[in-house]
Amino acid sequence: MPDTNPSAGAAPLPRRNGGAGRGEARAGVLFALPWMVGMTLFVAIPLILTFYIAQTKFQIIGAPKWVGMQNYEALWTDPAFWTSARNTLVFAVISVPLKLIIALGLALLLNRATALSSFYRTVFYLPFLMPAVAGSVVFMLLLTPNAGPVNLVLEALGFNPPDWLLDPNAALWTLIMLSLWPLGVETLVFLGGLQNIPKEVSEAADLDSPRGWHKLVWITLPLITPMVLFNLVIGIIYSFQIFTQAIVIGGTTGAPAESTLMYMVVLYRAAFRYFNVGLAAAMATVLFLVVLILTLLIFRTARSWVHYEGGER
Amino acid sequence: MSYKTFAAPGRVSRRGFLAGSAALGTALSLPQGAFAQQEGQLLLWLPGGSDLFCKIHTGLLEGFSSGAGLGPATTVCGLGQDTEFTQALIGSITAGSPPDISMLWDSPVSLGAQGAFMPLDDMMKGSKIPLETWPAGLLSSSQFKGVTYGLPVTAGVYSMWYNQEMFEAKGMSSARDAFPKTWDEMRRMSKEFTVWDGDKLVTSGFMPNRVPETMAIWSALNGGMIFDEVNLKYLIDSEQNVEMFNFFLEWVDEEYKGDFNLVDRSGNFLDGYPNPTTGMGPAFREGRQAGMQSGSWLLGDIFADPVPSFERWNLAGNPVGPSGTTSVSGTWPNWFVIPVGSKNPRAAFDYLSYLAVEGSVQWYQQIPDVPTNKQVQAKAPAGLVEKRGQEVADDITAFLGEQAAIMTPMWNSPVQSFYTDQIARATEKIYTKASPVKEALAEAQAATQAELERVLAG
Repeated sequence: MPDTNPSAGAAPLPRRNGGAGRGEARAGVLFALPWMVGMTLFVAIPLILTFYIAQTKFQIIGAPKWVGMQNYEALWTDPAFWTSARNTLVFAVISVPLKLIIALGLALLLNRATALSSFYRTVFYLPFLMPAVAGSVVFMLLLTPNAGPVNLVLEALGFNPPDWLLDPNAALWTLIMLSLWPLGVETLVFLGGLQNIPKEVSEAADLDSPRGWHKLVWITLPLITPMVLFNLVIGIIYSFQIFTQAIVIGGTTGAPAESTLMYMVVLYRAAFRYFNVGLAAAMATVLFLVVLILTLLIFRTARSWVHYEGGER
Repeated sequence: MSYKTFAAPGRVSRRGFLAGSAALGTALSLPQGAFAQQEGQLLLWLPGGSDLFCKIHTGLLEGFSSGAGLGPATTVCGLGQDTEFTQALIGSITAGSPPDISMLWDSPVSLGAQGAFMPLDDMMKGSKIPLETWPAGLLSSSQFKGVTYGLPVTAGVYSMWYNQEMFEAKGMSSARDAFPKTWDEMRRMSKEFTVWDGDKLVTSGFMPNRVPETMAIWSALNGGMIFDEVNLKYLIDSEQNVEMFNFFLEWVDEEYKGDFNLVDRSGNFLDGYPNPTTGMGPAFREGRQAGMQSGSWLLGDIFADPVPSFERWNLAGNPVGPSGTTSVSGTWPNWFVIPVGSKNPRAAFDYLSYLAVEGSVQWYQQIPDVPTNKQVQAKAPAGLVEKRGQEVADDITAFLGEQAAIMTPMWNSPVQSFYTDQIARATEKIYTKASPVKEALAEAQAATQAELERVLAG
């Protein structure tokens, strides 16, 4: 990443008094200590333990037994692993871009100053506050084949609606559709970016071209690319970890016909239903590495398409 | 127990997941005393169930503790069903503070074989509930390699339920003896009741089975077996089981337009309870289904909301498949275990002895889970006597007793949950025609046998 420090090239800062500097350093460490302890206890140690347990046979009760790479070999031949990986990949590839596009559209609308702006912002954020389980159940009731309001309306309009959650060809798409509902955070992040675009830049763009999409493509989008990057990375991480909606809708078997069987569901059932914690830990390790590699790749490519104010391309 | 759903035990159903989430929240807000057991004071954990269910068990434990001179007992109710309850129980065992006694709605074999529950065999010797006082087929649901890890104190007994009024309206005899004895007879009779209005199923006769946990019963009815516990071998893709699924599949094609989705869109033809997701009422209780297989727990719930639209129903034995020779029944027991780490194992076992004999009689009076110990002479449940009269209630109680004596072994595998998921997957593939019968069963067989061998490898 280019050096974007505004003080780069300026005169060096005066040296601080050594004793005071050490005092400040100590204070800094003390302030950071709770976070460091928390990070060690709740992130670093569990992460290392996961790598270790992934190479053991561990049934929760009793001590883990070292088995080397056996759990990874078992994953390789497990059809549920591949089915869930494929479903999760399809879910991520489709839902993440859709989420970004819809959230951006909403943010553009909410960015218009109207008397009801605050009201709309609240309304669009509300779904995010609803627990995922409750939201999923509400949608299941709405999408019930015969008595659900959605199908009743569609039938009244002359359509032949699908069995949203019963048809294996429709269920994954329904799950993707449901993931598009709570867009509050993504929309707010985009909105924050839009509101940070300097007025003079926006007005200059209006003068240069009367076409709205010119301004969107050449001015607005480049200026909010940091927000796109943030939403993209967070979206990918979350989409690979989809669990609650999938297990509420499809149970641990990914009904119907494994069409909603997601990676985290398979991991969960391996650990807490089959008591095969070693295999679950191996799955967690694989997921960790995949998400890590994807995130690093995105950050790597971000150098060419993310623009920071005051920075270089 | 007061109610159960068609979802496989341990398989996380939608309702189970919700109940579990709520239960976990409840559990976290419980006082510390609910989890920390003390010497001389029994602590009992129960999975889900109605308020009445909780009240009965609280009363039974308090009565026993008081009579035995123990300190005040604690019953923790509604800790969640299925996987959520198991998680909480395992957590308490690994943390060293388990309850003294826990009820399970899933076989204790899997966790017992891993050392989570105390073997009961030594305690049973010389007690008032020795091994020989239990039906062997039923007790095998708690045993692995000859070790008993729990007691199936009461059980729901699976049999055929049928609407006598629908039978009589068609001019058929509604006597138990006249009920179909073979699958062929049942299928022929079923057609008489099944009426479609376009793609809507208006009324139906009987349904081919698609409930994963009862597949062992249907397999046994066809002379087959799902799990050979002696040789530790799964037989999911045996000839009898392939034949069974082919029979069911032809039946679905012939009578139900080859599409269970159409059936499910028309109502709940799967069991005797309202569908928790769609809210659709049970077709049997609505008088739209002539018969179905169900557990005896429905005896307690059938008069609850929604009340049946007819008065007269009866129970009959399970019909035999083309390769079968004799009728069998099946069970879904209420198991009780003493977790490793219990601080009062002796008192806990004494309570199980009391519950298996005296306690189960009181339990059955209020909620008709059938007492299983051979020494128990259960009287007909009071609610059933009130609704159907003493004669019918006595007849049904006697019938359930006979059925309990011909139970096929079930729930006896250390990889029960894994098998349940595999057979559910295979069944779905077969009925949706995503895989041919042989292929779907062979896949389930290979996966389940491999998992069994992995677990047994030590």
